[in-house]
Amino acid sequence: MTDRPSILVPVRVLEGESVPEGVPELLANAHVVLLGYHVIPEQTAPGQAQMQFEERATERLEEYETIFEDAGATVERRLVFTHDGQKTIDRTTTEHDCLAVVVPNATGPVEDVLVAVRGAVGIDRLARVVAGLFGEMGVSVTLYHVAHADETDEDAETLLAGLEDRLGDLGLDTSTIETRVDRDRDPLDAIVEAADAFDTVVMGESDPSLSTFVFGMPGDQVADRFLGPVLVVQRGPASTDVATDGEE
Amino acid sequence: MVDQSVDAEPAGQNIAGEAPVEEPEVVTDDTTVHDDVELERTIGLVGGLAIGIGTMIGAGIFVFPGLAADNAGLAATLSFAIGGLIALLVALPTSELATAMPRSGGGYYFISRGMGTAYGAIVGLGLWLGLMFAAAFYLVGLGHYASAVFTELGVALPFSPVIGIGLLFGAALTALSIGGTENTAKIQNAVVGVLLVVLTGFLSYGVLDAVGVFGGGTVPEQFFSRGYFPVLTTAALVFTSYLGFAQVATVAGEIKQPGRNLPLAMVGSVLIVTVFYVVTIFVATSAFGADRLGQFGETAMVEVARDFLGLPGAVAILGAGLLATFSSANASILSASRAVYALSRDALLPRKASEVNLRYGTPHVALLAAGGPILVLVATGQVELLAEVASFLHLIMYGLMCVALIVLRRRDPEWYTPSYRVPGYPVVPAVGALASFGLIAFMQFASIGIGVVVMLVSYLWYRYYAGDVTLKGDI
Repeated sequence: MTDRPSILVPVRVLEGESVPEGVPELLANAHVVLLGYHVIPEQTAPGQAQMQFEERATERLEEYETIFEDAGATVERRLVFTHDGQKTIDRTTTEHDCLAVVVPNATGPVEDVLVAVRGAVGIDRLARVVAGLFGEMGVSVTLYHVAHADETDEDAETLLAGLEDRLGDLGLDTSTIETRVDRDRDPLDAIVEAADAFDTVVMGESDPSLSTFVFGMPGDQVADRFLGPVLVVQRGPASTDVATDGEE
Repeated sequence: MVDQSVDAEPAGQNIAGEAPVEEPEVVTDDTTVHDDVELERTIGLVGGLAIGIGTMIGAGIFVFPGLAADNAGLAATLSFAIGGLIALLVALPTSELATAMPRSGGGYYFISRGMGTAYGAIVGLGLWLGLMFAAAFYLVGLGHYASAVFTELGVALPFSPVIGIGLLFGAALTALSIGGTENTAKIQNAVVGVLLVVLTGFLSYGVLDAVGVFGGGTVPEQFFSRGYFPVLTTAALVFTSYLGFAQVATVAGEIKQPGRNLPLAMVGSVLIVTVFYVVTIFVATSAFGADRLGQFGETAMVEVARDFLGLPGAVAILGAGLLATFSSANASILSASRAVYALSRDALLPRKASEVNLRYGTPHVALLAAGGPILVLVATGQVELLAEVASFLHLIMYGLMCVALIVLRRRDPEWYTPSYRVPGYPVVPAVGALASFGLIAFMQFASIGIGVVVMLVSYLWYRYYAGDVTLKGDI
């Protein structure tokens, strides 16, 4: 075990959200950044909520921390009172340099993983997450790519083969890896449909655009429809800065 | 990211055995950090400006022009300019203090840490009550606008609905703040945006008209038609229009990149509203002359708009007036609740006062503690008195903030490391303090009397309830 990937696990700690079944086992080989957060209305100062809720929230987080540690992960724990949950998740991801954020949904024992590959961008981070988490678990990994119209089959296969090699370099048993290419479909629908046969999905984060603004990030959309845990691999720090700067 | 450590260690207990909450270890651009708990900062520059402008613009433009013109004639323009200048002289030192101590509670926090608990208690309790007076004043203004709507619709009521409507909205606002979890900040930003657009359009037309472009021309008039002294008393009266910038400091704990955004939001909002006020008074007095404007009272701006643009103009300004007074009242109630929280955090009020409601996550005790007394104040219906008492209590705080800055700079404690430093030290804060205290002298005796009583009661409360609590930073 050399390089545990940092994975952010956000939990709305005071709203009865807990750690779903199967997630601690899924992240057994990770460095878990356990983010307990509580969203409060604007009428309330965050410090006010802290005065009242800190003790209870910390108690719960400690329980969750134990669950993850028992499963084998190393854990770092943060508690945040905020008006804006998304901002808190994004900031914590950047500050702790997390490779991926998990959308925590329940799952059974993890036996097969779908890895949705969008393109060559960010593929190294994707590889580090997959190899780090599943390298020693003996699960079967399916690399999946939805090709767009002006992309040849060779391009798609080269992309997946490149990732397969990289995973092999990082210590994943390549005999457990399958590849699969679909084309001429809406990638999101395709991923959700393909995901049905799998226990968990690993996918990349999209660049913010009008459609992500209207419909939400694809990771969350997939998680809503797939109902299992989704690991959303974050863009590297350089591009994250560009995304957060646009705000003012 | 600039990390600052905060070393002011509060100590002691109040009569109920509660001690002040410990100070945070580190303040960053994005959070306030206590051990392994973080408080997220979520208000950006736009949000900060909207709080400042939204609180201020309601009064200066939609309530005071008629009253001010009646008191000072055309020279009311100068009164507003004086008010703006004093506000600016205070906003600069406040910015420095806020970047050194970006915590909830604003002026109260700075003064209690810089000058000790007694001053802090007087200012903190005074701020809470002052905000109530201000909110009541905005609500009475709102009542005037709502009754003007009835008049406009031709509904003749056998009684004046001003106070009734003010009470109704006061109660509704309190209930909304307790039960509503809607995104109020976004609404506030949008309201301020709409107001600025409507006013810019209206005032541009008014200025062009006043200089004769549309053939209307100015009503010629002597500038100091009421003499020189009323200019200063009017400045004291209308200073209520400049109370909002300090409300930015009451949410300083929630502002992102406080070192940059706090000074910009405070100084920026003062500059923006000053320009709007001065132009508004100029346009209004040009249209009618001070005498007729004075007769229109609180809703004089509606008549000015009618004169320029007919019925649509009157309707637009009526709508804008309702929005503006509503948003000012709302912002004041929320700030008052933040003030209660800051006091209870420091054990100057019972901890219970900042309790958060489990169902809505809102501080219902603090909001009721603000909303309840407001209704009593609204019931008096005394626009000028409410405004002056609010100004009095704020001016005391402003003056003391300037003094606190000078005290802190002279003693230069290790923890005092503001990222923004006031230009022209020590002249600016000294003049700011003198101007703040000086303006009080021009108020009515009744307002000064009520203000002094509030301060005295605040001090006695501190001696009785929390005499052992020390909040001053290590100096």
